[in-house]
Amino acid sequence: MNKNQEPVLLRMEGIVKEFPGVKALDGVNLTVKAGTVHALMGENGAGKSTLMKCLFGVYHKDGGHVYLEGNEVSFKNSKEALEHGVAMVHQELNQALKRNVMDNMWLGRFPKTGPFTSERKMYDMTMEVFNDLGIKVNPKTVMSSMPVSQRQMVEIAKAVSYNAKVIVFDEPTSSLTETEVEHLFRIINMLRDRGCGIIYISHKMAEIKRISDEITIMRDGQWIATEKADDLEMADIIRLMVGRELTNQFPPKTNVPGEPMLEVRNLTGMYNHVKNVSFDARKGEVLGIAGLDASGRTEVLESIFGIRQRKEGTIKLHGKECKNRNSGESLKNGFAMLTEERRATGIFGVRNIRENTIISSLHRHKKFGPLLGKKSQYEDTQRYIDAMRTKTPSQETQIRSLSGGNQQKVIIGRWLLTESEVLLLDEPTRGIDVGAKYEIYQLIQNLAHDGKTVLMVSSEMPELLGVCDKILVMSGGRLAGEVDAKTTTQEEIMTLAAKFA
Amino acid sequence: MSELKEKGNALKAMNAKDRKRAIGDIMMNNAMFIIIAIAIVLIALKEPAFVSVPSIINIINLTAAKLPIALGVGGCIILAGTDVSAGRQVGLAACIAASLQLTTNKLFPEMGVQAWYVALAAVIVVGAILGFVNGFCMAKFKLHPYIVTLSTQLIIYGIILLYLQLGTNSGQTLSGMNPAYRELITGELFRIGNTVVPMYVLYSVIITIIVWVIWNKTAFGKNMYAVGSNEEAANVSGVNVVRTIIMVFMMAGALYGITGFMDAARIASVNATTGLNYEADAIAACVIGGISFVGGIGKVSGAIIGVLLLQVIFTGLTYLSVDQNLLFIVKGLIILVACAIDMRKYLVRK
Amino acid sequence: MKKILALLLALVMIFGLVGCGGGDSEEGGNEVGEVAVFWYTFGDTYLSSVRAAMNAAFEAEGIVYQDYDANNSQTTQTEQIQTAITKGASVLVVNIVDASSDDATQAILDAANTAGIPVVFFNRSVSEEIVSACETAAYVGTDYTQAGHMQGKMIGEYLVANYEALDLNADGTISYVMFKGQEGNMEADARTQFGVEDADAVLAENGKPALAFYDAANTSKYLLDQNGAWSAAQGQEHMQTLLSKYSEDNGNMVELVIANNDDMALGAISALQAAGYNKEGAKYIPVFGVDATDAAKEKIADKSMTGTIKQDAEGMAQAVVDIAANFQAGVDKFEGIDEANMVGTWRVNIPYSAYTGE
Repeated sequence: MNKNQEPVLLRMEGIVKEFPGVKALDGVNLTVKAGTVHALMGENGAGKSTLMKCLFGVYHKDGGHVYLEGNEVSFKNSKEALEHGVAMVHQELNQALKRNVMDNMWLGRFPKTGPFTSERKMYDMTMEVFNDLGIKVNPKTVMSSMPVSQRQMVEIAKAVSYNAKVIVFDEPTSSLTETEVEHLFRIINMLRDRGCGIIYISHKMAEIKRISDEITIMRDGQWIATEKADDLEMADIIRLMVGRELTNQFPPKTNVPGEPMLEVRNLTGMYNHVKNVSFDARKGEVLGIAGLDASGRTEVLESIFGIRQRKEGTIKLHGKECKNRNSGESLKNGFAMLTEERRATGIFGVRNIRENTIISSLHRHKKFGPLLGKKSQYEDTQRYIDAMRTKTPSQETQIRSLSGGNQQKVIIGRWLLTESEVLLLDEPTRGIDVGAKYEIYQLIQNLAHDGKTVLMVSSEMPELLGVCDKILVMSGGRLAGEVDAKTTTQEEIMTLAAKFA
Repeated sequence: MSELKEKGNALKAMNAKDRKRAIGDIMMNNAMFIIIAIAIVLIALKEPAFVSVPSIINIINLTAAKLPIALGVGGCIILAGTDVSAGRQVGLAACIAASLQLTTNKLFPEMGVQAWYVALAAVIVVGAILGFVNGFCMAKFKLHPYIVTLSTQLIIYGIILLYLQLGTNSGQTLSGMNPAYRELITGELFRIGNTVVPMYVLYSVIITIIVWVIWNKTAFGKNMYAVGSNEEAANVSGVNVVRTIIMVFMMAGALYGITGFMDAARIASVNATTGLNYEADAIAACVIGGISFVGGIGKVSGAIIGVLLLQVIFTGLTYLSVDQNLLFIVKGLIILVACAIDMRKYLVRK
Repeated sequence: MKKILALLLALVMIFGLVGCGGGDSEEGGNEVGEVAVFWYTFGDTYLSSVRAAMNAAFEAEGIVYQDYDANNSQTTQTEQIQTAITKGASVLVVNIVDASSDDATQAILDAANTAGIPVVFFNRSVSEEIVSACETAAYVGTDYTQAGHMQGKMIGEYLVANYEALDLNADGTISYVMFKGQEGNMEADARTQFGVEDADAVLAENGKPALAFYDAANTSKYLLDQNGAWSAAQGQEHMQTLLSKYSEDNGNMVELVIANNDDMALGAISALQAAGYNKEGAKYIPVFGVDATDAAKEKIADKSMTGTIKQDAEGMAQAVVDIAANFQAGVDKFEGIDEANMVGTWRVNIPYSAYTGE
């Protein structure tokens, strides 16, 4: 471990970025050495993304300097950064989904024969990069038909094809399965060994400890510390990030599952592979749903909520059948659902926090006939901004200008306002920092404690074990088994998850 | 007032660079008002009569006449859609309203003059039905609004042509309407000096207030914005997307109906060209007023500003005796420039 | 289920259309093909009355016909003509869209000649050179300059008779406004020009000064329908806007309104009435149009409009039908047409007449 002697690739010094009324970055430093993985950590809104946007010229920085291999640079846009060998693999992939893999790889610099673009060259060049990285994807596949993990691989391959010296990974594992994560780490290690400098942004402690050589921690737009990864314990990282001690990763369980409340029988999807899923959930119970990607976890929740068509199956709440043919009906029947894809099916980007919060509970605000009262809207919204500790300048802020974690908090607030009896949560902590995760776990506990039933899908095994009472394991669209969260092990769940896969 | 003062003080407290940017922001955010003001000042410098009472009332009258259709189109644009059938719908409504108010009726010789509210109800119902067809095709068959309204626009034009051939009319202009009906629309609301402000200005104000309340104070309005900004998310959030889309278009249809009802009396002669190209101006006005094609963005005040700006410019150009052919060029340029300036507000600042 | 429903719906529609079409070509089984009539737009008021008259005339003669609407697009019309030729039309009757394009005329004639089908153009002018070169073509129109000349003469005579009463500001000249229906249309150009020139000529004969356009700064000396639709709405709007600047209070009131057609005149009257003119017991601004539509005749009857020029819709329709029947029968194309109206071997002019309600 001699990496401190490695030459410095990228140095950011005293970076300042101000937005009207907010100092988003206040003199942040970051030094990335060649052949190292440098983790950048911090809570949501700590300024990690802003820092990266300043690097890539998405934002214009108000102060500070950026040096690439000793020369001061100031990129105007991410294309320019790419051409200088600085690449980014985004958290939410921005790709031309209707086009195929190689079109995306060579977008803006199509290889040519004479004046015409050459499909043949493009194909060969793509295959070359893919073989190099051990990626098994047909370059002619249309992007939208591939899972997120593969699309991400394409993004990495694209960065490599630019001969990138510095590659930024923003939450790369948030939608990957275990095996995919392993593959990703192999590639990252390979890139590191070639002398690339990697900036790795993630909330997942275990990953960070495993892969990174150095860690920089940010909080509230300020640089807090840069240490060697070996010198920091997990608790230290959390303490530095949150600025306070967080002794437990999960809140104590206080809920007591009571009488049976929800009864699902023979749930079978119309246009998906979910087949004959039956289970019960008790009042005040947190029921986890585990499984690999594409095991049908999300489809089960969405079928119950009526936004996916069922071919068969009955849903009973308190012994009474609920048809749940669409989200409106499900809401009336006492169901609420947090969807997985926040940007696609969660937020109303251009609308403000308040409208995003109250949209599912408008009937609560009817004051004069069909007219809505303004005061109650403000109060409800404010209550959940406070309760969720959402960081936002005001209720009038467009939700798309918030960080991912804060958007998630707003959406959760939206569903809590409906005061539903059954909450269907699909990956409720995806892309959320440690502090906020704990808050959401606490919230789930409180909901169960108050007698709500929570169904929760998650890819993070420890989370399921720490929060749930029971865990259903899905495999290949079928229910592979049901385990008690207190007694089971990760191994048992993994075995079940592979049963029909 | 104190708010303004506060802002003023805040400005003073800033350093030079910040102040420059803040002033820039304020100007950007009120760009449309500034453009209107500059336009009025420039035109008035050359033609002082432009700011005389009759001229201002003329602009207000014309703005009022075009506001309801703009508000209807505006709702469709907020849904990330559009409505190119608006003009023809106004045309059909005008034909129907006129046909129920003719003193010598060649379309329906047996029928006498109907009460005004019968005509009003008829055009609103017809408008709502056409809106329902538009909305239904969009929501149920997932067709693009442009395609749907492009088709219905043709269908409606066909209906207008057929309608005007009813009885012994054989496609002739409808004219000679019941004076009581004309009085109801164009009668005197009040007068300033010798210039009459007609009743339809009042109606237009009332309609605008109702639309404002619907957009801002009802669940339907909130749902409309939600569907416009993210249809999928709305579908998940318990919003009845299909019903919302249909209702927005029905409301638009009703507004076109009212526009037609007022236009028939205002212009006093109705034929198959009535309403031609109205949608073009209405869409332009909405977009100028910041009702964005992105969906989910737009206010009633935007529609008003848009219609007003267009009207000030058009009227102003006539006052300036600009060559008739140049008018087209100027009109196009103004729409482009105004939209470009307004769009800057919504760009993510970097 | 849905798919079946959609299919059924589509089938019903197709059958419905076939059914509709069948109504017109029921007797199409005999040797002689139908007469295909191409209208530049169904939306034109005057042409609607020609169409009604022509349809009636065809039916009276027992000739099978089919109307086409080009909706103001020459491309559409040319394509419709090609289709009709393939369908086996016996005579083409064409109300050409692009009146100023010789190429469009030539293209239609070429297509018809190749198929050996005669063509009758009507209403919208076509070039003499092209039509007279073709034995199996004819044109039924009006002397398009005549309407303007007659309108100008009518205006001049009316003004001379009522000069003092009409000169509201007593400055000795009459200020006028002219509404033009469309740019690039020969008839509109001629009406705009002669409506004023001929009026001036009459005024000069009687020792009066020429008309003055109300807005000296306007070099084009007319206000235009921006959509080229000759519409009442634009007439109303222009009039309302100009009344906000020019009024009796300001001593610069417009004292005469001339419009290229009746619809625009009616729009202007609406604006005048809103400003308190041309009603019973109110001051009167003379308004002149062209076409003599029923609506305009009513306005003239109730004294809110002054005069119009009558285009003889029935006369035009009858002439067209006669020529088409001659072509079908294989006799001389102008047989039975009033010789006074014939121009050379290619054209029949339907005369205009002044209409002031008397």
